[in-house]
Amino acid sequence: MKMTAQHKALALIFSLGLIAGCSSTGDPVEDGAYGAVDQDGGSTVYGGDEEGGVSSSEMTEEQRRAAEARAERAEADAMREITTFYFDFDTAEIKSEAREVLVAHARYLQANPGQNVRIEGHADERGTKEYNLALGERRANAIERFLIVNGASRGQMETISYGEEKPAVMGSNDSAWAQNRRVELVFQ
Amino acid sequence: MTWLLAIAVMIGSTPASAELLIRITEGADAAIPVAVVPFSESGAMPSGDKVSSIVRDDLTMTGEFRPLPAEKMLSLPAKGEEVYFRDWRMLGQRYVLVGQLTRRGDKVEARYELFDVNREERIMGATASSSVNNTRSLAHHISDRVYEAITGVPGAFSTKLAYVTLERAGGEPLYRLQVSDVDGKRARVRLESDEPILSPAWSPDAKKLAYVSFETGKPAIYIHELSTGNRTRVADYRGLNSAPSWSDDGRSLLVTLSKDGNAEIYKLDIESRSLKRLTNHWSIDTEPTWDHTGDGFYFTSDRSGGPQIYHKASEGAEPRRITFGSRYNARPRPDNDGKYVYYVHQRDKSFHIARTNLKTEEETILTRTESDESPSVAPNGRMLIYATKQGGNSVLTVIAADGGAAYSLPASKGDVREPAWSPIVR
Amino acid sequence: MRGHERDLISTGQPPWKSPVALSILMHGLVLGVALAGWSWSVPRDEPQPPSISARLVTQNQPEPSPVTEPVDQPDRDEEQRQEEQEKQRRIEAERQKAEEEERARQEARRIQQEKEREQERQRQEEEAQRKREQQRKAEEEAARQKAEAEAKERERQKAEEEKRRQEEAARKAAEEKRRAEEQRRKEEAERKAREERERLEAERKRKERERRLQEQQLEALAAEAQQQREAEERERREAAAAKAREAQMLSESQKYQALIRERLSQAWYPPSSATEEMTARLQITLLPTGELASVTLVSSSGNTAFDNSALGAVKSLSRYPIPDDRDTFESYFRQFTIEFNPRRLR
Repeated sequence: MKMTAQHKALALIFSLGLIAGCSSTGDPVEDGAYGAVDQDGGSTVYGGDEEGGVSSSEMTEEQRRAAEARAERAEADAMREITTFYFDFDTAEIKSEAREVLVAHARYLQANPGQNVRIEGHADERGTKEYNLALGERRANAIERFLIVNGASRGQMETISYGEEKPAVMGSNDSAWAQNRRVELVFQ
Repeated sequence: MTWLLAIAVMIGSTPASAELLIRITEGADAAIPVAVVPFSESGAMPSGDKVSSIVRDDLTMTGEFRPLPAEKMLSLPAKGEEVYFRDWRMLGQRYVLVGQLTRRGDKVEARYELFDVNREERIMGATASSSVNNTRSLAHHISDRVYEAITGVPGAFSTKLAYVTLERAGGEPLYRLQVSDVDGKRARVRLESDEPILSPAWSPDAKKLAYVSFETGKPAIYIHELSTGNRTRVADYRGLNSAPSWSDDGRSLLVTLSKDGNAEIYKLDIESRSLKRLTNHWSIDTEPTWDHTGDGFYFTSDRSGGPQIYHKASEGAEPRRITFGSRYNARPRPDNDGKYVYYVHQRDKSFHIARTNLKTEEETILTRTESDESPSVAPNGRMLIYATKQGGNSVLTVIAADGGAAYSLPASKGDVREPAWSPIVR
Repeated sequence: MRGHERDLISTGQPPWKSPVALSILMHGLVLGVALAGWSWSVPRDEPQPPSISARLVTQNQPEPSPVTEPVDQPDRDEEQRQEEQEKQRRIEAERQKAEEEERARQEARRIQQEKEREQERQRQEEEAQRKREQQRKAEEEAARQKAEAEAKERERQKAEEEKRRQEEAARKAAEEKRRAEEQRRKEEAERKAREERERLEAERKRKERERRLQEQQLEALAAEAQQQREAEERERREAAAAKAREAQMLSESQKYQALIRERLSQAWYPPSSATEEMTARLQITLLPTGELASVTLVSSSGNTAFDNSALGAVKSLSRYPIPDDRDTFESYFRQFTIEFNPRRLR
């Protein structure tokens, strides 16, 4: 279940590929909202972003630096494509591989004070509904605290827990449960 | 100990000095054979289920009775004079219910009699009537009377169930809050929403429901008057507003709020909306419910690591942990006489309904199904309804409160979840 | 035990003071007390074993000997007699001494008179004749004096004699009185001794009678005990036989009890309202066919539904499983009690 750096790199390349305008290349799309699902890593990647690709022509030093900056930004932007974070059963502990991405989100929010984000906590279907509501909230709060610590301001954020009411994946199996124990960031 | 003593007495007794004593300490591990004879009818009757069939199904649902199929009956008496005890005895029946239905204008009148086959005695005879289109209520009333006459415990067949259904037709979820008879019949939708509806809870007078609805995009607690459909939003704080539970006097709710940063239990005065915080812990405290005394309450807390049931003997008392059987025990529901508390209990990878005897602290797992949720005890303490998974959908199942025979309520489309058994209203 | 030995060594006590000896003593005592206590605590109807009867007879103790037999009396009489003789001897000696003294005095006087006579004779010589008269006179005087002295002496002797005689008489009288007294005392003592002997004899006889009576009683008791033992033995034998029979009946009975219990357990449907505290007792009477003749609720559980469930169960059996043996049936199953008390509700 751990997401390695290679996986992340692959995911980035993959998403950049999408950015290059290949949004219709037959990725399995569920409910028209979610992109490919890595069953092992459980990461969900949004597709269809607005940002353009990179055109190639002769490059000046300025252009090269600008390109580097762009590339860095692009990397950060790509990282910010990841907006879903997963949890183990009955915990609200942020996994280590999510931290880098969350830091990117926090920096972005810091850089864009006008940007608001809704932090939605979820639980899998197991256990009781009311306890899961509280658990989803605990997960959302954990993410919110992390973002604040890393630069975002409380005023930009709002948390909500849906408990087990809005599963990302239907089904009563380990894979479905793993994908449903999550927090989603919804930028508004 | 007394049992051993009795054995000693038995063995030590001589025929001259003491009479033989035989002690029966166990009863039949079976449901009571009872014959519900189809009622005779005079006059036009409404179409649909027969009154006697409803009574038969009611008795079956308890798990305590085993009604004889009508086709096995040797005769179909409608009144006492026609009952031949020998026949019913031969069929192994303990009780026989006979009755006559008579149409009187827009009413239907039932005259019914209950007989004890072995004692050859009429236990009960009564008359009841209802409007023509309410013969289900008439049938449930008769079931209540029969049940009480045989068991000594009031029947709960005239009570109601509230529950939530969820359909995901075309991907868009549709939540419906419904109220039905205890057999699942005569279900009526009381609220419909694209957003979740959770935790329906009956007021003590069975006239109102409190529940959580996400209809505004975030959870809030509503009180819904069933007769008028009037709704009041009574708790809409930042964060969680969940798990309402009525006090005995109907004036306040126990609720879970996270407005102070963490899920805590509060007492909400419905009239004044004032809040009193009852828990204060960094852990999750939720799913509160008053105990039978009305002074203390049960709740779920993960203060020990995982969710467990706790009890506070009074609002200010120290919480005492009730469950220890596994790492996950949640959503307590005590019975009305303080004998048992029922809850969701995880064993290995499965979730069952379990109960703990509050006196002996003995825990019993009541269900064999998996993914069991939302137990709700019948007001007479004899039955339990809960939600479980069946073919990927959630369905409601009624079991005897001691874990006996199960009776699944008729399935509907999608999930049926979060049943709440209404109080008995006399 | 090692500790005891060490104790023994370190204290150097004489063996009888040793803990072992003490312990034995104590055990003896305890045993004695226990035996005494045991025999004491034997129930009244327990026959007295003969050895105990014999022990009880030991009240026949040696009779106490008569207390005061005056065995030293003759010795004392002899002593008195010797004393008496001694006294007489003493008196006699005194008397002789007095006579001797008297004689000595007379001698001295005579010597004096002779001296005087010598002087007289000298004077007589001088005075010769003249003095013959005088001499004759003196001689007459002397003779007279002598006669007088002799008479006096005789008189004195006579008085002395008289005194002695009187003393003797007094002594004899005293002696007589003492003897009489002695005789009286002796007689009294003898009377007392005789009375004592009679008393003791009577006592002895009484005791003897009592002892005989007791013996007779004990014999009777022993006989009774023997009879009782025999009776008991007989009873025991009879009881053993009865017990064997009963055991047979009981095992038969237990078999059918179990059958009835099983049938009733299957037939009993405790109502929902039943609790483990509820108990209903029914007395049932069966016909020899095993059919229920009657049933009575002798003790209600307090819960009508519970009582009815018990009654229903009892009445639901068309025929009770009962033994073929009529005695066993009559002993156990003609009438019995059934108690309904759920030990463990589902």
